[in-house]
Amino acid sequence: MGPVRTLRRSSPITMVVGVVLIITIFVFILSPSSSDSAASQLRKANAASNPLSPPTSPFRKQSEKANGKRIPPPVVHYHMNNVTSSPDPVGNRETILILTPLARFYQEYWDNLMKLSYPHELITLGFMIPKNREGNAATAALQEQITKTQKSGPMKDRFASIIIERQDFDPPLASQNEAERHKMENQKARRAAMSRARNSLLFTTLGPSTSWVLWLDSDIIETPPTLIQDLASHDKAIIVPNCFQRYTDSKNKPAERPYDFNSWQDSETARDLGDKMGPDDILLEGYAQMATYRTLMAYMAANGGDPRQEIALDGVGGTALLVKAEVHRDGAMFPPFPFYHLIETEGFAKMAKRLGWSSTGLPNYKVYHYNE
Amino acid sequence: MLPRHHASNGYPRHKETYSISPHRFQPRTTPAAIRRRHTLIFRSIVALIVCLFFFFVWPGASILPVLSLGLLSSGEDFQLETVRYYDLSNVQGTARGWEREERILLCAPLRDAESHLRMFFGHLRNFTYPHHLIDLAFLVSDSKDQTLPLLSQLLEELQADEDPKQPYGEISIIEKDFGQKVNQDVESRHGFAAQASRRKLMAQARNWLLSAALRPYHSWVYWRDVDVETAPFTILEDLMRHNKDVIVPNVWRPLPDWLGGEQPYDLNSWQESETALALADTLDEDAVIVEGYAEYATWRPHLAYLRDPYGDPDMEMDIDGVGGVSILAKAKVFRSGVHFPAFSFEKHAETEGFGKMAKRMQFSVVGLPHYTIWHLYEPSVDDIRHMEEMEQERIARENEENERAERMKKIKDQFADPNSQWEKDKNDIQNEAMKEKKEKEQAEAKAAEASRESGADAKKESKEESKSDSKTESKAESKTESKPESKDAQAKAQ
Repeated sequence: MGPVRTLRRSSPITMVVGVVLIITIFVFILSPSSSDSAASQLRKANAASNPLSPPTSPFRKQSEKANGKRIPPPVVHYHMNNVTSSPDPVGNRETILILTPLARFYQEYWDNLMKLSYPHELITLGFMIPKNREGNAATAALQEQITKTQKSGPMKDRFASIIIERQDFDPPLASQNEAERHKMENQKARRAAMSRARNSLLFTTLGPSTSWVLWLDSDIIETPPTLIQDLASHDKAIIVPNCFQRYTDSKNKPAERPYDFNSWQDSETARDLGDKMGPDDILLEGYAQMATYRTLMAYMAANGGDPRQEIALDGVGGTALLVKAEVHRDGAMFPPFPFYHLIETEGFAKMAKRLGWSSTGLPNYKVYHYNE
Repeated sequence: MLPRHHASNGYPRHKETYSISPHRFQPRTTPAAIRRRHTLIFRSIVALIVCLFFFFVWPGASILPVLSLGLLSSGEDFQLETVRYYDLSNVQGTARGWEREERILLCAPLRDAESHLRMFFGHLRNFTYPHHLIDLAFLVSDSKDQTLPLLSQLLEELQADEDPKQPYGEISIIEKDFGQKVNQDVESRHGFAAQASRRKLMAQARNWLLSAALRPYHSWVYWRDVDVETAPFTILEDLMRHNKDVIVPNVWRPLPDWLGGEQPYDLNSWQESETALALADTLDEDAVIVEGYAEYATWRPHLAYLRDPYGDPDMEMDIDGVGGVSILAKAKVFRSGVHFPAFSFEKHAETEGFGKMAKRMQFSVVGLPHYTIWHLYEPSVDDIRHMEEMEQERIARENEENERAERMKKIKDQFADPNSQWEKDKNDIQNEAMKEKKEKEQAEAKAAEASRESGADAKKESKEESKSDSKTESKAESKTESKPESKDAQAKAQ
């Protein structure tokens, strides 16, 4: 037992050491790491002053004047000559918009999204959700995950901005189950509605600063974490990976099969079929009644093939699709009407081609679809 | 546990308790000791500050997190709103949008428009639709004049206006040059051949503007050219009232009198004709039909030619192609993908293709033939030449007139003016007449004097007679004078 020292008058050195300790503890607990602080600074720099600003960046909550007067928004300049979409999007700090027409919310989809290694402060998410019961459930589930990430998650996981939109028209089909969705007679109406949803989402969120648009369906549950960097590194206007589905085969072994048949190279037969059709008929892929003999990218995947192998495409699927924003800005959209007998994403590839942009496919670079 | 006061004074309670440090003499703290302690505290604080400075500020970090202990920065993050929720069924667009606070996006593509900007801002200030519900978006492309600085200046003034009703909503100025592509086009810039590529380029600019400025909260989109000279202040409400998906007014332009006073201007609003459809089938995929050129005789009914100045301004007409001077469209039209095709869409591009595409998606496209706005008259090359000729003619005529006036003056100077002579003569003649009259009266008076000699009675009578005579004469004269006057009055009344 040592001498009992007087506590009435503590030594200044103890005081100083204590203060220093407290400060360092506070600093280490509260201050973000260096990369986090850079990200957070970028967020703050991009933040706009009012909710009318482009939704691709966050905004500061408005503080109205004391006398209740409306503060007129400032005049904002956007230098779109400086918006690039280059093969090195991370290096050039290019912003990307990930757009998802959401009918059902899958946790695996969100988890996969969180795993993307592209800097999250450069990613804006946009969702289009139909206004029905299923949509309400999906919205609730989505918002729960968003709150978890944006409010209490670590800084580096937070996305720059998230936009949720509810559709202004009813989906043409009551049921969203797979068998019903894929019936041939339902395809035209279903895909027309899907096109409208995609266009509404695209043209209200694109904004003046987006460099890339990644279309990612809500049932894509597995992609490489470097998906965006990998696809962008090809420097193509429109680029599609191959969409597969995992399943367990008859011997109870995991296996995979091609899923999306909308990425193809055109054929003579299909062109002839198209010429004989009425102006409002559409060509569909993957139906035995309509043999088009197009070359499908789904069947071009080779075991152990080079994932960087490129092929030219005439039609693209929308399950995962990376597009340079300028393609959309020039007017390439998803036609909700038969455009050269094509509709939705396939029609999009055609319209882009009419505007001078070509499409590319990566047969050996795979993303995986949910299996119901 | 001992009570606090036991330990607090540091002295053992009981003297019997063994202690290594017994009571001992402690000198009173001297001023020197206090000073030493103070310097120690001061030095350690300085050291602390220096340490903190090097720890945070020197590697490039800002001083803010140090002062706020990192609390402020995270607090600012909480201030940021990163999630936005929009229900698009709330922004469908209705006939009385101003009552439902529906937002309008006003789009204006600009290129070398410096000279028209002030006029355009005059129109902006006059709009009766609530300004805070209108968002302005400008695309400035490939401008070589002062469009951009002037635009920013005028907008800053507008937003800083004292009148709380003047400032607008969100304002975006988008700078984007498409110049490269103009050079790539080898076709000549003027004339029929260049029309297609020119229209495609304009379509591209419009699409870039719209896709950058359209937001989920917009109910309407209004396209307006800056070179509109006259338009009703209520044009937004007037067009909105019709509750159509796409609606355009008639666009004319005033002309100088020698060109007929006025002229239809926008020929891109038309109804499709069988001839044009047949013509479209014969053209190749990339061809673009443009109106107003002899190469494509389409025989389409044009909105512009159907104008009746006294017609009902609310009359509607279904059209297929639209002109871009002033288009009001519901935002849902653009949301569902209708845009200005920068390629040949059903043989049309830009605004005409826009109308076609809207029709293709079953939207209503309507024109108002008797509701007119007036485009600025800018004389064409031919007009300017003609005007120069007219100016020369006018000068020649003026010179001629001057010469004539001079000649007249000379004549006046050289020969005496006969007018004064005439006046003089007239006066003389009148004087002459008066004299004669007087002489006559005098002669009569003399004769009367002579007869007076014959008798006093007779003299009296004759005097009375002469008086009454003169009276009746004067009466008769007044009657004859008054008659023609009354006739004139009657004629006037009739």
